[in-house]
Parts: sequence; C-alpha cells; structure tokens
Amino acid sequence: MSSASHVASQKLDILVDTFISKLKRRQITGSYKIATETCQFLMRVISTSRWSTPQEFIQLIRKVGQRIQEAQPREFVTGNVVRRVLAIIRDEVNGTGDSLNNANVNNGAPSAPVDTSMFQLLSTVNTSSSTNLSIKENTRGQNDLRSVVIQGIRELSDEISSVNENIEAMTVDLIHENEVLLTPTPGSGTVLNFLLKASLKRKFTVLVTESYPNDIEECHLFAKKLAEANIETVIIPDSTVFAVMSRVGKVLIGARSVFANGGCVSNAGVAAVCECAKEHRTPVFAVAGLYKFSPTYPFDKDSLIEVGNSGKVMPFEDSDLVGKCEVTNPVFDYVIPEHIDIYITNMYVYFFIFINLLFQFILTEVKHHTNTQNILFS
Amino acid sequence: MTDKKDPKATSQASVVPAATASTSAAANASKTGPPPQKTLTNKELKELKKKEKAAKRAAAKAAHGGANPDQQHDQHGKSNNNNNKSQKPKTASQLKKQMNSAKIKDTDVKIPAMFSHLETREQRIAASPTVASIVHPSILALTLKISTYKVVGSSTRCQSMLEAFKDVITSYKTPEGTSLQRHLTSHLSHQIEYLKTGRPLSVSMGNAIRWLKQKISQIPIEMSDEDAKVQLKEDIDLFIQEKILYSGKVITQFASGHIQNNSKILTYGHSEVLKKLFKYCAIEENKSFDIYIVDSKPLFEGKKLAKELSSVKNIKCHYNLITSLSSVLERSSIDFCFLGANSMLSNGRLYSRVGTALVAMSSKNKSIPVLVCCESIKFSDKVQLDSVTLNELGDADDMINTKPFNKTGFNLQQYLNNLEAKKVEEQNGAGKKGQQQQQQSKKEKDDKLLQSSQKNEETLSNWKDYPSLNILNVLYDLTPPEYIQKIITEVGALPPSSVPVILREYKSIT
Repeated sequence: MSSASHVASQKLDILVDTFISKLKRRQITGSYKIATETCQFLMRVISTSRWSTPQEFIQLIRKVGQRIQEAQPREFVTGNVVRRVLAIIRDEVNGTGDSLNNANVNNGAPSAPVDTSMFQLLSTVNTSSSTNLSIKENTRGQNDLRSVVIQGIRELSDEISSVNENIEAMTVDLIHENEVLLTPTPGSGTVLNFLLKASLKRKFTVLVTESYPNDIEECHLFAKKLAEANIETVIIPDSTVFAVMSRVGKVLIGARSVFANGGCVSNAGVAAVCECAKEHRTPVFAVAGLYKFSPTYPFDKDSLIEVGNSGKVMPFEDSDLVGKCEVTNPVFDYVIPEHIDIYITNMYVYFFIFINLLFQFILTEVKHHTNTQNILFS
Repeated sequence: MTDKKDPKATSQASVVPAATASTSAAANASKTGPPPQKTLTNKELKELKKKEKAAKRAAAKAAHGGANPDQQHDQHGKSNNNNNKSQKPKTASQLKKQMNSAKIKDTDVKIPAMFSHLETREQRIAASPTVASIVHPSILALTLKISTYKVVGSSTRCQSMLEAFKDVITSYKTPEGTSLQRHLTSHLSHQIEYLKTGRPLSVSMGNAIRWLKQKISQIPIEMSDEDAKVQLKEDIDLFIQEKILYSGKVITQFASGHIQNNSKILTYGHSEVLKKLFKYCAIEENKSFDIYIVDSKPLFEGKKLAKELSSVKNIKCHYNLITSLSSVLERSSIDFCFLGANSMLSNGRLYSRVGTALVAMSSKNKSIPVLVCCESIKFSDKVQLDSVTLNELGDADDMINTKPFNKTGFNLQQYLNNLEAKKVEEQNGAGKKGQQQQQQSKKEKDDKLLQSSQKNEETLSNWKDYPSLNILNVLYDLTPPEYIQKIITEVGALPPSSVPVILREYKSIT
C-alpha cells in the first residue's frame, strides 16, 4: 500500500514540478493561458492524488497552490484559480447537496452562496453527515468527490474560455454612435473582442497607443485587425495621449489582475493614461474576466511591477550611453482604484467600491475557514 | 538625355527628380560652385535655362499641365532679359512661380480626420537647379538638416537659421535699380519660403525674422552695400548672443538655485537651455545630483541629452521612456521637474514637444514643482486652447518602425530611388517591367534604409492600403498653466499668467 501511495506521490511531484518549471521559465505567459493551464493541471493533480480524508485533500491542494503561486509571484491568476477550486471542493465536502448546483452557484446568482453558507453555519446535520461520508465510505467517497470536483473544474475552465463572449454582450450598452475611444492596452485579447463585437452594432473610432517598447508589435497587429474590421483606427504614440484626450469619449483598458481594493495592474503607461482621463473627466472602463480578480491587497506596489529588458529601452547601438545611464523598463503599471470608473467582467459590471462584495460571493465558502486566506497571499 | 523624356514614369514624384538628376549630372562643373556666381555670366545662365526648359517641358507634360505655359514663358523671359532686369519686382512673382513649379505634391499622405486641417509637408521642393539659383546653398543644407531632424529644437533652429542668413547676406548682391533696404527683404523671403518646406517655422524663428526685416529696413540710405552687409552681420551676431546665448546663461543663473546637492531632477526630451543649466550646476557649481530623463518616440531627443550629460562627472543619469513615467515618479522622490519650451503662448500655455503635458500633469499630481526655462524670444502673442486646433504634423511613416532609426530626407530618398531605377532600367531596358521593379526596389531600399527587422516591416509597411487605418504623428502639445509653477526667462522668473507682460516688454526692447 505504501509503495503504491509512494508511486502516486512521485507522480504527483513530477506533475507539480513540471508545471512549476513551466511557470518559472515563462513557457506559459498571459493570464488567459495560465488560467486554462492551471485548470488542466489541477484536474490532473486531483486524479493522481491520494488522500484519506477530504481535509487532507484540501491541504494537498492548498500546498500545491502555494507552490505554484510562488513560481510566478506576479501572476495572480494561478492563485485565483486554486482558490476557486478550493471553494468547489469545500462545497462538496460540506455536502451542500448537489455539487453541480454548487458549481453553478459559484458562477450564478450572488445571493445563493450567501444563503448556503449561512445555512451551513446554522445547520449541524449537514456537517455531521459530511464527516460520516468521509470516514465510512472512504474510497467510494473519494472517487465521487474526485469526479465531482473535476466536473467543477471543467466548468470553471469553460467559464474562463467564455469570458470574452460574455463581456462582448455588454458592449452595446456602453458605446454610442460616433464615439472616440482610446485604448492603451493593445495586447489585450478581451479588449480586441470587445471592440470587434461592438463594431457590428456601432460606428466609432479607436485610438490605440503604441506602448513602446514592450507591446509595440502587438499594437500594430491589433490596429491591423481593427482596420480589417473597418473600424476607424488611429495609432498614436504614447506621448500624444494628453494632446488627444480632450477629444476622447471613453478610455478602455484591459486589466491584468484586479485587487481587493479595486486597483489593477496593467501594461506600462496605463497609469498615466488613466490619470490623464481623470483630469479630463473621461470615463475609464476596465475589462477583465472574473478569474483575474484576486482577493489580495496591493500593499507593496513595487513588488507588483515586473521589470523587463532594459535593452529594449536603450539598445546596444547607443553604446556610449549603455554603461553610463541607469535604464529601467517596467513592464507593468499599477492603476489606483479612483482612476477606474467601471470594471466589466463576464459576470457583472462593477464599481470599485463594490469589489469587496464580489469577493464575498466567490469566497464565502472559504471566508469562515480562517486558514485559507493566509496561505495564498503573496 | 533619353531618360529625361521618360513618359512611362507613373509617379509624378519620380519624374521631376529624374529629370533634374540628369540635368544636374549633365550640367557643367559649376554645380559645385555657389549659384550666385552663375547669375553673373548671362551666357552660362542662358544655356542652363535652355536645358532646364527642355527638362521642364518633359516634366511639366506629365506633372503640371496648367502651370506649364507660364513656366516656359518665364524661362524664356528670364533668358532674354539681362541680369539686371530679371531682378526687378516683376520677377519676384516669377521666382515664386519657379519655386512653386518645383514643388511636388505628395498625394499619398493619409491623416486622421481629426487632424486633417493641419498643414502637412505635402509640397516638397525637389533639389532642382531652378531652386538652386534662387536659394542659397546654406539654406538648402539647413532645410535638409531640419527636415530630417538633424537640427531640432527651437533655439537651435533659430540660431542655425540666423547663421545661414549671414551667409546669404554675404553672398548677396543688390541688383541695379533697387536698394539693399528694399530688395534684401524679398530675397530673404524666398529663402524663408524654401526653409518652410522643411518644417514650419517656430515662434522663435518667426520673431527673429521679424527683427531682421525691421533691422534691414532701418539701414540708412547713404550707407554703402558693403558697410550695410557688415553691419547686418554684426547685428545678427549680437542678436544671437543676446537673445539665445546670454539669455541661456542668465536663465541658468536664476534656475541654478533650485538644484541642490543630491537633488533629483526630472526632465523631458532635449532642451538647449536645460542642458546648459545642468552642465553649469555640475561643473561650475560642483553640485552632484540625479537626472531622470524621460524620452519618447519617434525623435528620441532624450538620448541626445543623456549622451551629453552622462559624461559629466557629477551627474547621475537615468533614462526612461514615457510609458514608465508613473513608475519613475512612484519610486524615486523627484524634487523638481524642469521642462523646455518651443514657445509660450499669450494665455499662459506652454507649447512644447508632445509628451510634455503628460509629464507636467503627472508631476503636478505628485506635488512636484514644474519649472519651465524659456528665453524671451520664444514668447508669442498667439492664443490657443488645445493641442488639436494648431499643431505640426510629422511624417506618419516615422511611426511604422518599432525601433529607433535614422530618418532619410525626402530628397535623399528620391535620389536613391532614382539610382535604383536607373540601375534597373539599364538592366532590363525601358518597359512596364521596369516600373514594377522600380516600385519593388524602392520598397527594398525603404527596408534597408529604415534598418528594421523584416518581420516588423511586414506588419505596418502597407498601412496605407487599409482605408480605416491611420497613424498620427503630431510634434507638439499644449500644457495648461495650472501645471506650471514658474517660468524662468532672462528677464526674470514669473508665473505663467504673466506672459503678456513679457511680450509688452519685449516689444518695447526691440
């Protein structure tokens, strides 16, 4: 028995290690990819893992989650996905009836999780039944639990891949005819889909900033795609933002991760654009899938911002400058919550003050489990 | 001479330079000599004019239908009249027509709708001998440098322009029947017209020209031409010294008090005055401080400043692009933000390199004082409320590259294209194939000259084919006065609301 479990744990280790090295080596980049890969990874982990009690199961997932969050500490999506999975597991373990309903509840109406958790708190029957479940029907319970959780993860994965479609559905209400939009995040696929969908119903102009030096190639591709869809597109250099802002109706940004206070991390240059928009009283929309929302709080802004290749800012062709100047190339920017008017997600449209409510809905199951909140904070 | 009458050339732009390249090749060695000498010998002038007439006829057939008969008439008129007569006021308009005939309309220009009212460099003047006989070579050289951003910056352009005018005045000879006071002004106007085709004049250049014209008209009648020229040149020197060089020094004196030891200064782009200020503080006053230089595409002027300052011992340079502005401001506690100006407008707004407004706004929001150093020659009585109504458009094609590059001027580009075309034609013989190859080779030349990787060139090199795609490249923007704490000029330090006061004073000084 021990050897079997030993083999199993080795398999698990191999799985975990490969995924972690992928993350560390940045073979997977981009929130969307990482989220889907994490889902796949967790499914595999759950199928190969061996545990005797559900509590052990939860501990195992937590440990794995901790490790993968540390592999890429600035990529909060991994942590978010693990948290959602843990929520699924807890739901199942606490036996709130049909687990499928539970998974739906995570994605569906916000009031339901609150009821069920309150209900759980008050009712003793369910908890005892869950413990009975774990002790008596060990292996069968394990398999049941496993399949249910994997089902839940699959649904989570579906939700993540359908983020764009759901966000697109909200476009029409937000853009009027002949509007001028500005987008400083040309690398965002969500923004691209948003605009392409909106162009079917409305005619507008899009100004795209170049985001030199990190995203300039993406900017050119983005602009080309928009132009191919017959949207009036204008590429502007990053410095021209203030000059044109008085003519811009709305600013549309793609967020990389969103935090508990409503602030977000996005490409370099976006913070200045949002500040500029604030000065001109131009509304700023941020689009982000729900999987990007993280309950962590950005205490240390410096650690959020990754620094990239300085050679892009000052290439070696400027040889007489290279050794003598200090050059940094921050890849990200932190945008304070006051600069963003609205977050558009695949579920709802949120104002930053109410982000806390959002997190409550996702995390109610884990809220009264005090330990969970600590482990996955960076 | 056969390629002069090349009817198969499709693009207008390539025809005239083709003709002119061959004429210049065929022309006598006096091409190397200064053109004003040529006008002394009528015979050579007549011969040249005849050749040009033939060239023009071929070119004008394809290019300018309407203006053609006028041109020929002008050419004829010029060759028939003797030198003196041709310089009468009548020929001022003839000269103008000549210059206009050499302009090439670049129909390929695409501008975003919002900015389509702004002037573009649609009309380039080809390097033809017709122009060369009117325009002084120093001005030709200067225009080339200005249009390729080799000479860039308000004070620098103004100074270089005045130096070029000194050369023009030196080689100037008053035609008979008119006086220097009256004629030199119109002669200078032709030079200025040509200069404008490189880039629109800045406010400082405009003010300097107005001053110069006033000075010319104030020359006493009895003074001989030689004396007048000497006096004018001295006046120009004095003007440069006073308004540009010494002003810079005085501003430095005023502003150096703000820079203390171990202070951190933020600056944007490249400004002559600021460079002097920083060097003075580091070298003369021996202060050591940090400078954060913010830079942007496409001109990358900050690199120039960084090159100069990084070799100064007491200065520690940091270089960043404008996208990382908020990170820089967040991380390092900047003490002051110094900005340079192209001009100060009458309603207290700062007209400066695009991106300045963003830097000023971000600094203000972090409670960093913003100081502008600006000589009084840059003050203008214009009033403007935003950056869209009046601005300068650069070439949209400068923006296609994803890496910094060296801009080749329009004339150089044409010349190289023609070399390629000639090579290709010699190989294939004239034919439709030659056209396509010319286009292809032109594109290849573009690739090589722009020195960008193949993949990047692919992405936007055909941006003009997409009707909905536009590229915006404006050069200036307007910073509202609420972001500026103090403007430092050589007449003192003042808040932005007091700009009209300086204008009044400035007018009284001159």
